[in-house]
Amino acid sequence: MEALVLAPVNWLEERSGIVGAISYFLFRKVPRGTNWFHTLGSATLTAFIVQLVTGVVLAMYYVPDPDRAWDSINWITNELTLGWLVRGTHRWGASVFIILLFLHMGRVFLFGAYKYPRELNWLIGVAILLLAMLEGFTGYLLPWDQTAYWATVVGININATAPIAGPFIADFLRGGTEIGADTLSRFYAMHMLLVPGALIGLITLHLYLVIRLGVTPPPWGEDAEPDEPSPNGRPRGAREGLVDPKPRGNGGPAITTRSGVEE
Amino acid sequence: MAKLDNRERYARYKEDVEKRGKPFYPYAMFHDTVMSLVVVSVITALAAIWYFTSGEEPGDAGLLGPRYTEEADPGTTSFVPRPDWYFFFLFYLLRIFKWPESVILGTVGIPTILLILLFALPFIDRRRERRLVRRPVAVVAALLVIASMGILTWEGATAEEPSATAGSVLCEANDLDCEGNEELALGADVFAEAGCLSCHVYAGEGAQNIGAPELTTVGDLGRGEEYWVEWVRNPQAIRPGSPMPGFPNLTEEQLQAVAVFLEASTGGG
Ligand code: HEC
Ligand code: HEM
Repeated sequence: MEALVLAPVNWLEERSGIVGAISYFLFRKVPRGTNWFHTLGSATLTAFIVQLVTGVVLAMYYVPDPDRAWDSINWITNELTLGWLVRGTHRWGASVFIILLFLHMGRVFLFGAYKYPRELNWLIGVAILLLAMLEGFTGYLLPWDQTAYWATVVGININATAPIAGPFIADFLRGGTEIGADTLSRFYAMHMLLVPGALIGLITLHLYLVIRLGVTPPPWGEDAEPDEPSPNGRPRGAREGLVDPKPRGNGGPAITTRSGVEE
Repeated sequence: MAKLDNRERYARYKEDVEKRGKPFYPYAMFHDTVMSLVVVSVITALAAIWYFTSGEEPGDAGLLGPRYTEEADPGTTSFVPRPDWYFFFLFYLLRIFKWPESVILGTVGIPTILLILLFALPFIDRRRERRLVRRPVAVVAALLVIASMGILTWEGATAEEPSATAGSVLCEANDLDCEGNEELALGADVFAEAGCLSCHVYAGEGAQNIGAPELTTVGDLGRGEEYWVEWVRNPQAIRPGSPMPGFPNLTEEQLQAVAVFLEASTGGG
């Protein structure tokens, strides 16, 4: 019986090492002080996965064509069985995702977790944040209602005011001089292929670095500064043997100075 | 010298975690799972509240807004441009600056600086210290950023939406004799109905949340009616990259009337 379970596991392990990798992931040590603050990253990941799943379902029914986009959204919301749930989850999940991103970033900031050797992971994080906002911007147009349309008009026009690159970015986003069918297909392609693809890649890198480097314990308690002497009265550096921990003699002229010895 | 360098310090951290840390499973994983369940429940609850308190009609808002507004219509006459909430702070930044000289600070300057600072953070703050009491600059900077983002988002969210205003109200507010001049009256009506007030302020009416210039005394610029006809039809032809959308759907007669109305707007006759 046991062999029946173990055989395929061993087979897989021998050919991929995946089982060892998973058990390393599960049983690796994390700092004692790891707490609720550290759940914000995985909560963000959960929100992202919710977006992926609901997004795929929406893509099965949504039509990225100016003549039909609004009707398809209407149909998904009102007619499709549980369509309201899928669309509502995608819509509100986007906001929750952004909020969690900011909270997670705030915890990384407060914990000083962007410091050596995790600078690179902070950079990846900022790139993720930007892409997440781009994802929000491109998704906002898709329902093709008045709110969506005019917010995008203003958004693209504001973009166009940027010096040098501004007009080019605006033309690229619009796919022409006016917001129409080309704009909608462009936003759709960015929203469901380009940006999520980039996000998945960056998130994978991000998590790889988290596992490789380990997480930062809270900046309070005994883990705040594990390599500084604890506040037990010994002067700084005592541990390294660089400072004489014994109290100095009281007062009197400093006869132990080098020049004093030489006299 | 007395201080450990980065590598030694990190080696000690690794050693310390190995010796005294706890395994990810089940400890941290338990917390992560609970939190993820909370997140999924909150999202589902928001979706349900949004759906069950709103109606099928476009714009029929419940507690969390409507399901959708009317289908997009590029030739529309009135609309309220409003981005998703996490862009409100950018949206509101625009209002703080004056068109057209310094608005670039709001659209490009400040966001770019913030972005560079965000990317550069680990290279600016190279100290090893992590305790909050010993990082006063970081803590104060964080509080300031949170407070200003919060305020900007709030202001953006609660900024006045333009109300429907009749052309005659505009004429009266700006001392224009519309009753004695049909073209002027038509211009005021088009101006009031075409959505200009979604962006512009005119004699105290209209939207203040976009940062477009006030037009109460725009006639003083002395640009002439022909110029305004072309401007309103297609601003980008005159000022490439202008954020104002064109109104090519207005008829020649309407454009001409708006131009007359603009040219007559000199603030008190
Ligand atoms: C989406 C927002 C928006 C709408 C709607 C809008 N405008 Fe504008 N308008 C702007 C902005 C932004 C500027 C500043 C443009 C610039 O400096 O390039 C502007 C500038 C102007 C100017 C000043 C141009 C100059 O040369 O200084 C006039 C006049 C004007 N708009 C008239 C109108 C009229 C008339 C309408 C309605 C038919 C209208 N606008 C609708 C955003 C808008
Ligand atoms: C989709 C977006 C993201 C996901 C899924 C994600 C996920 C995670 C996870 C699971 C961790 C482990 C520790 C924890 O949960 O706190 C982590 C750590 C970290 N994250 Fe993210 N993150 C995202 C975005 C960001 C952003 C926007 C930033 C900053 C700009 C960032 C910076 C970091 C850093 C520096 C660490 C290391 C923290 C430490 O050592 O304690 N992440 N991330």
